[in-house]
Amino acid sequence: MDQRQSLWEFMQQQSGKLLQQTIQHIGLTFISLLIAVLIGLPLGIYIARNKKAAGIVLGAAGVLQTIPSIALLGFLIPVLGIGPVPAIAALFLYALLPVIRNTYTGINGVDPGVKEAALAMGMTATQRLFRVDLVLAFPVIMAGIRTATVINVGVGTLAAYIAAGGLGEFIFGGIALNNTNMILAGAIPAALLAILLDFLLSLVQRTGSRKRKMVLGLLPLVMLFFSSFYVMPIGNTRLLAGFTPEFMGRRDGDIGLRSVYGLTIRTVVISDAVMYKAIYDHKLDVISGYSTDGRLQAYDLVTLEDDKKIFPPYYAAPVVRSEVLRNYPELAPVLNKLAGRINDSIMTLLNYRAEYLNQPPDRIARDFLESAGLYHPPRNGKKGLIRLGSKIFPEQYILTDMYAMLIRGFTDLEVDSKTGLGGTKICFEALVHQQIDMYPEYTGTALLAILQPPPALTDRLAGSRDSVYRYVSDRFDREYGLTWLDPIGFNNAYALMMRRSQAEQSGIRTISDLTHYLKNQK
Amino acid sequence: MIVVKNISKRFNMHNAVDNISFTVGQGENVVFLGTSGSGKTTLLKMINRLIEPDCGEILIDGRSIVDQRPEHLRRGIGYVFQNNGLFPHYTIEENIAIVPRLLGWNRDRIAPRVISLMEKLRLPPAQYLNAYPNELSGGQQQRVGIARALAADPPVLLMDEPFGALDPITRASVKKDFKELDELRSKTIILVTHDVQEAFELADRIFLMDGGRIIQEGKPEDMFDRPATQYVKDFFEGQRYIFDHFKNSQH
Ligand SMILES: Nc1ncnc2c1ncn2[C@@H]1O[C@H](COP(=O)(O)OP(=O)(O)OP(=O)(O)O)[C@@H](O)[C@H]1O
Ligand SMILES: [Mg+2]
Repeated sequence: MDQRQSLWEFMQQQSGKLLQQTIQHIGLTFISLLIAVLIGLPLGIYIARNKKAAGIVLGAAGVLQTIPSIALLGFLIPVLGIGPVPAIAALFLYALLPVIRNTYTGINGVDPGVKEAALAMGMTATQRLFRVDLVLAFPVIMAGIRTATVINVGVGTLAAYIAAGGLGEFIFGGIALNNTNMILAGAIPAALLAILLDFLLSLVQRTGSRKRKMVLGLLPLVMLFFSSFYVMPIGNTRLLAGFTPEFMGRRDGDIGLRSVYGLTIRTVVISDAVMYKAIYDHKLDVISGYSTDGRLQAYDLVTLEDDKKIFPPYYAAPVVRSEVLRNYPELAPVLNKLAGRINDSIMTLLNYRAEYLNQPPDRIARDFLESAGLYHPPRNGKKGLIRLGSKIFPEQYILTDMYAMLIRGFTDLEVDSKTGLGGTKICFEALVHQQIDMYPEYTGTALLAILQPPPALTDRLAGSRDSVYRYVSDRFDREYGLTWLDPIGFNNAYALMMRRSQAEQSGIRTISDLTHYLKNQK
Repeated sequence: MIVVKNISKRFNMHNAVDNISFTVGQGENVVFLGTSGSGKTTLLKMINRLIEPDCGEILIDGRSIVDQRPEHLRRGIGYVFQNNGLFPHYTIEENIAIVPRLLGWNRDRIAPRVISLMEKLRLPPAQYLNAYPNELSGGQQQRVGIARALAADPPVLLMDEPFGALDPITRASVKKDFKELDELRSKTIILVTHDVQEAFELADRIFLMDGGRIIQEGKPEDMFDRPATQYVKDFFEGQRYIFDHFKNSQH
């Protein structure tokens, strides 16, 4: 049964991609580092002389440093869009503080007696700066650059979320896909890169005082050289696709598009959080979306028909630990109250309220339950605790809130919600390890991302809603002690999407149309 | 000739130097003598503009020191620090050559100059030319500091307790070699110390300072023979034998 590859096999098989991502990662790291040094070093020198400015500059850079990296990217996207520019900007901002602060501390740390002697000998301020201050502060400044480099290698993995490439593509793809090899194929090179660069820079840091001035002069050139590694993934088509890390590695994703449809399109990897806005802004032309996504209508997107059926059905249903259902027999009927109640268009509308109108998920959940006559005020029972999990996107939040309200209203059980558990892998592992008791899952995702049966079997199942449901619920029950309750009704399928205007102009209705269109373009 | 007119310097409401005036003639060696905190260093640093006075005027050879760029002024004034202030990242040779380089001397002129100064100050060049300051003893470092101040043969030398940080035996030896330098013949030297013996040894004229003011100026023997105030009397009380000993040993 276990036909998993070893990590080594995976890396060999993906060596082309791995090399490209590593090179991109080095490039990203050094471009932002170079800019940080070119700006941070003079700024550090400036504030070492102007103590008044020092507080302001160090304070501002310190505040930037405390912004969580994902949030910083989030702030930058509206201003700078997606792709390398916001990624480099974010990395640059993170690298800035260590460079400024260490330059400042290093220069201030130079023996005041030596500084005064330099003036007393008749050096000008500039002569002192280059012959004394910078040379003696060199080890401290280099320590700052080292810190900045290691930070950049780490934060650089997030570039994969906004179509800027790097080793994050494997890491986030692997997390989403429950593929440990893929995670490690990104994480190990990233860690080795950080260690290697840190080591090399520690050698530079130990440069004797005679060569320091030369090193300070050469460093930007070396960085410039490594910066040039960064080249965006280049393809040969005019359309640009943005796929999520998860989609990139799935058979019902990029792999299927290539093997079944023969689709070759210039592709960047991007997070679903920014993908819709990016296609709306014409930064992308094709994206891998979800068919119930609320932004489809708002951004006037169309889904391309999957005429060769690579996307299996993705019917949502609660997956619950069987043990919990046995302990609380009243639970299953309550959770099943939602079964069959939410169809595609209702779910799309609910998502629209969350994703486009930014309404809070609990309000959306309550409105729906009230209109469906399913809302009961909480009974505040204390009989037992049910821990609900959810993946990190609005549809899951809404469903989880609905289940929480149902449990509180119809049973004497208490609820604890652990929402936003990242991707499929994290939720599933949490469930298997009894960290949570249930979360909403999709049949197709369970099939292809978790169970991963042989392709032949997948192909046989793929067409039919019921056979996929039967297959996953059967195996979850036998292998993991997990129960699939009844499907909620909607099918949140993977889909390729384009802007309506562009799709109509180019006469693209199906994925096959898209493939032909791209072939004829060449 | 150095003319100092009514200079004062305040630090946080405290008069470090309080309305001081004096004149030092060409080639004269004067010593400012005073207890710690009496304003000696502040006074010295105002002469080469490491500190700008709040008021007053300083002229060197008739020219006000604020009329020239500070770095040009300083290249013409040798300065010896109490704790040497050598550049830790420069070799001894490079440390001594700092001012000549700033003045744009060429190599052929600098190298022999450095070597001759090292020899005069008893720092064997073969051994120490390429050494770094941290490889030298305190006394040797102070010798380098003196050589550095003299390297470009400046007409004026300012010395801030140049022997203060050394143990008595080392101090005597460094001082001896210093006094024997032919370089010093024509130089105007202002030296600062709290060591009475040192003042007697090196001064043509002594200025006794207290609380930022000059309490008395005069030849060494004037300090005993005609003390201006009780403070001066107390200051030199019990030091007479040093002076006598020193005088006798000179004759
Ligand atoms: N940069 C400064 N800021 C504030 N106060 C200062 C500063 N420099 C000197 N002072 C004060 O001015 C006074 C004179 O200091 P100065 O260093 O000139 O004394 P000094 O005679 O050289 O003493 P010492 O023999 O200990 O070296 C002292 O009270 C000192 O605290
Ligand atoms: Mg002093």
